[in-house]
Amino acid sequence: MSDFRITLRPALGSAPRPGSRGLSITAMPEGHVVQVLGRPHAPDLFGVLERATGAAHRSVRAAGPGQWFIVGDAPLSRDEFAALSTALQPHATAVDQSHGRVRIRVEGTIVERMLAKGTAVDLDPGAFPVGTSAMTLLGHVSVHLTRIEIAAFEVMVLRGFAESLWEDLVRMSVEFA
Amino acid sequence: MTSYRLATGGLVNRAAPLAFSFDGKPMAGLEGDTLASALLANGQMLVGRSFKYHRPRGILTAGASEPNALVTIGRRERTEPNTRATVQELYEGLEARSQNRWPSLDFDVGALNGLLSPFLGAGFYYKTFMWPAPLWEKLYEPFIRRAAGLGKATHEADPDSYEKSWAHCDLLVVGAGPAGLAAALTAGRAGARVILVDEGSMPGGSLLFDTAMIDGMTASDFAREASAELQSMPNVRLMTRTTAFGWYDGNVFGAVERVQKHACDPASHLPVERLWRIVAKQALLATGAEERPLVFGGNDRPGVMMASAMRAYLNRYGVAPGKATAIFTCNDSGYRLARDLEAAGIEVTAIVDSRPTAPPGYRGRPRVIANAVVCQTKGNKSVSAIEVLHDGRSETIAVDALAMAGGFSPIIHLACHRGSRPFWSEENAAFLAPQDLKDLRIAGAAAATVGIAACIQEGSAQAAAILSELGISCRPAALPNVEAEEESRPAKPLWSIPGIKGKAFVDFQNDVHLKDIGLAVREGYGHVELAKRYTTSGMATDQGKLSNVNAIGLLAEARGVSPAEIGTTTFRPFYTPVSFGALTGAHSGYHFQPVRKSPLHDWAAKNGAIFVETGLWYRSAWFPRGGEKTWRESVDREVVNVRQNVGLCDVSTLGKIEIFGADAAEFLNRVYCNAFLKLPVGKARYGLMLREDGFIYDDGTTSRLGEGHFFMTTTTAYAAGVMNHLEFCAQALWPELDVRLASATDQWAQMAIAGPKARLVLEKIVDDDISSAAFPFLAAKEVSLCGGKLHARFFRISFSGELAYELAVPAGYAESIADILMNAGAEHGLQPYGTEALGVLRIEKGHVTHSEINGTVIPDDLGFGKMVSATKADFIGKVMLEREGLKAADRLRLVGVRPLDPTASFKTGSHILEKNAAATLENDQGYVTSSAFSPHIGCTIGLALVKRGPERLGEEVVVWNGLKSEYAPAILCDPIFVDPTNERLHV
Repeated sequence: MSDFRITLRPALGSAPRPGSRGLSITAMPEGHVVQVLGRPHAPDLFGVLERATGAAHRSVRAAGPGQWFIVGDAPLSRDEFAALSTALQPHATAVDQSHGRVRIRVEGTIVERMLAKGTAVDLDPGAFPVGTSAMTLLGHVSVHLTRIEIAAFEVMVLRGFAESLWEDLVRMSVEFA
Repeated sequence: MTSYRLATGGLVNRAAPLAFSFDGKPMAGLEGDTLASALLANGQMLVGRSFKYHRPRGILTAGASEPNALVTIGRRERTEPNTRATVQELYEGLEARSQNRWPSLDFDVGALNGLLSPFLGAGFYYKTFMWPAPLWEKLYEPFIRRAAGLGKATHEADPDSYEKSWAHCDLLVVGAGPAGLAAALTAGRAGARVILVDEGSMPGGSLLFDTAMIDGMTASDFAREASAELQSMPNVRLMTRTTAFGWYDGNVFGAVERVQKHACDPASHLPVERLWRIVAKQALLATGAEERPLVFGGNDRPGVMMASAMRAYLNRYGVAPGKATAIFTCNDSGYRLARDLEAAGIEVTAIVDSRPTAPPGYRGRPRVIANAVVCQTKGNKSVSAIEVLHDGRSETIAVDALAMAGGFSPIIHLACHRGSRPFWSEENAAFLAPQDLKDLRIAGAAAATVGIAACIQEGSAQAAAILSELGISCRPAALPNVEAEEESRPAKPLWSIPGIKGKAFVDFQNDVHLKDIGLAVREGYGHVELAKRYTTSGMATDQGKLSNVNAIGLLAEARGVSPAEIGTTTFRPFYTPVSFGALTGAHSGYHFQPVRKSPLHDWAAKNGAIFVETGLWYRSAWFPRGGEKTWRESVDREVVNVRQNVGLCDVSTLGKIEIFGADAAEFLNRVYCNAFLKLPVGKARYGLMLREDGFIYDDGTTSRLGEGHFFMTTTTAYAAGVMNHLEFCAQALWPELDVRLASATDQWAQMAIAGPKARLVLEKIVDDDISSAAFPFLAAKEVSLCGGKLHARFFRISFSGELAYELAVPAGYAESIADILMNAGAEHGLQPYGTEALGVLRIEKGHVTHSEINGTVIPDDLGFGKMVSATKADFIGKVMLEREGLKAADRLRLVGVRPLDPTASFKTGSHILEKNAAATLENDQGYVTSSAFSPHIGCTIGLALVKRGPERLGEEVVVWNGLKSEYAPAILCDPIFVDPTNERLHV
């Protein structure tokens, strides 16, 4: 057995938290993000995804035609990923992006106004209800945006941009501090 | 006499005085004033000097179209030139300075230009300063620019912040006058998502200075109540101080909100301006109408003002224009001003009406001179008298203010921003908005509707029609009861006026006068677009809001046609000037672009890396150590260490793409020019991707990790481009193939471990057998690390030419694994190396990058001709690769180059000349694409693209740096400087 200790370094581990009134920005646990690539021209796979994710604490997010993200707060073991992968076959392929994507939770009563500084997506609850996702630019950074509660959004971003996006979000919230 | 503040009246707060200064002179205004109204209240009628002739100018309007009253406000880093005094809200401590005068506003030497004016007509500069040509740029233009001009911007950095935001609505209403308020109320009450924008500080538009009574309230009280109701609705957003400046595709409107332009000390947590992009399902323009000036001699003299502006100063700001006012009108609107002036106790000396008779219903006291025109004003720095032509004679009347009422032009700019042209309506004597615009309607005075009641009715009706299109039901609201005087109907426009002696200005801001228009027509520039450019009429910050229609009318008269035939110039955003700050938003300075960090960024930083920006990435360029004085020392050490021991380089920034599917191999076979169909599982292969035109697009290694699973790497620069290209191929070119793509660049941290001792280091942490027998060159597979604690992807590929591996681990473990490797490699001399050393190593080995793959090369140019499959049915670029020019014998092809004198050097980009050939481009043989000092060879080496290069190895040439006139005798050689037989790769 090797003596080397392998440790995990979160992408936003040292990022400061802004203290804004009615608004919070939180780095979500680096649990798991699985990208699901449906077979071209496959029928709607939502049922398959529901079954594959089962009762576990995971959520399915639409990510374009035939593509989804399965996300959860707990890390996925190698076996768990393999099981998920198998459950999706032959309809879809699972790609582990748990380290490649970082999730940030933005929450508050004026969260829509804050995010409107970055995204062209209409975030009115009528147009973008809970559970809706969109790929969009937030300022200059491409993100995957999901309304997870009426006043809370999950912003998923490429790991390399996570710090930069965090700074942008903090700046966008300054007005409400 | 001068203008002054009345004892009562207006919407200004007389209990809240504000101190400000103009040209250093302390003045007092009131809360609710604009800078212009405050200046007038202080009797300051002269506020600036004109652009070309330095003529004294005053305040002409009370709004956005102001061409004259441009001042510089603020100080030091908050200096803001060319601010329109008519829209700038007054604040405590505001400092304003006049522009384009020296030494002072009252005594301006530049006014001598006026004496030269017979020579300074349109086209003067073009005709006069043609010869000698070089002097134009060096002498004439700078001189002319200094003499003519507007305010000067500060060189200090802007201390304030800006931002952008998006907004969405069912209905956007532009303009909160009677029509706009009525529309917003109708739609808001029906529950629609409404945004109402208005450029003013308070909603109301013309209601703020109208004397009508609406539902028993004053017009301004009605506006206040309507705004209060709108503000109480959660579905309505009322945005004041917000100018909608452009209409764009997708029914997106650009608007700029002046969040803190009226604040002395802007709060730091708020932007000073915010740029809005408003996405509207439907939009309604209720932008009102612009009053037209009349073109008579001296119509620019301070004291001459638009009639509606005079009403605004009188009724909204409680400011009188003077003690004795005359009104020059060609329609009924002048009489409304007369009534308001009378009611305020200000003498109206005369109403000069160009029509044959005064309106029959008019019963006011002032003298009406019908069938008459004002042909001239007199006075020094403000008007003291007017010359009136009537009944065949001229009469001089002493006045201290003159209002002009030339009719109204609907404000239709936004409606014309997407290419449609306005049309001339003879009935309304005005250009009206193009008809049948998609998702955009016009209401109120902007649609040439006359009268408050009619505007309210139309605003409400248009909103109801829009709601019905959107499927939102709405009950027709009762319309308010309006008691107002008869509104003026459009009258025949008065373009040219007889008896003019002095300059009669058409465009005030650019000093374009009547004769310039005539000159333009005579000289063949009578087309409206040519006349604009020849005379400069309609240019600069006001973009001809007042002048264009008169210029068109005068052109029409000069050519004997209707304005309909002349047409307008092209309307473009922006409606009013928008600051660069607002357009930039929050993305300035450090935030100009996002920073993309490798998962090994912090590891590199703690190892002392110097970073270099590569696109958005920050890559570690080299790792200086104690005692090293130059970057070259560090880089040389890193290079030598890789060749002798082992080095670790972060290559995480290279693009990584996962390719899945039953047809993935076939897909790659079509994307790459070399064969991939039969690449065995567990193997990597160098791939060359061409563009359709046969030139190389990108390169990289692609490994087969499973029967239907490949892992592609791309160059850092083209990672996103290649991903897009592959998606296009999969979705559009070959939708029948089962292939699925995922970008995995950020999932994996990738490290190159290169050098003869690489295996010794890796063996310590990789659990699998990595001996050359078990894991030969170009092997690729998943391995476990540190006793199964982690799984990684492992590749035996080499960019340096040494025994080398690349290890990919999930990004979150990158730093930990790199630390472990550094620890394990210490005894073998493992050192980190950066992109500079990476570059030297690959040049020594003759490996190409985008320095060579520069869009002009095909595979054969780089010595990859044999890689191009001759047997594949098709691949991208195959057909076009057969073009004659791509088979030419004298193409530039890759060679190595090194100086004959080992102490000499040359630079990338230098050109190759034959020995003894003259240094001319005709003799150009090619150019150096990459160069570096090679510690291995002991001198500078380079890669070059040279005509017939590989046939000329051993030829002596000259490397010519034409920029610095440097010449280095050199020799063409094999581009592989290190280990040409590839023995080191296979150890």
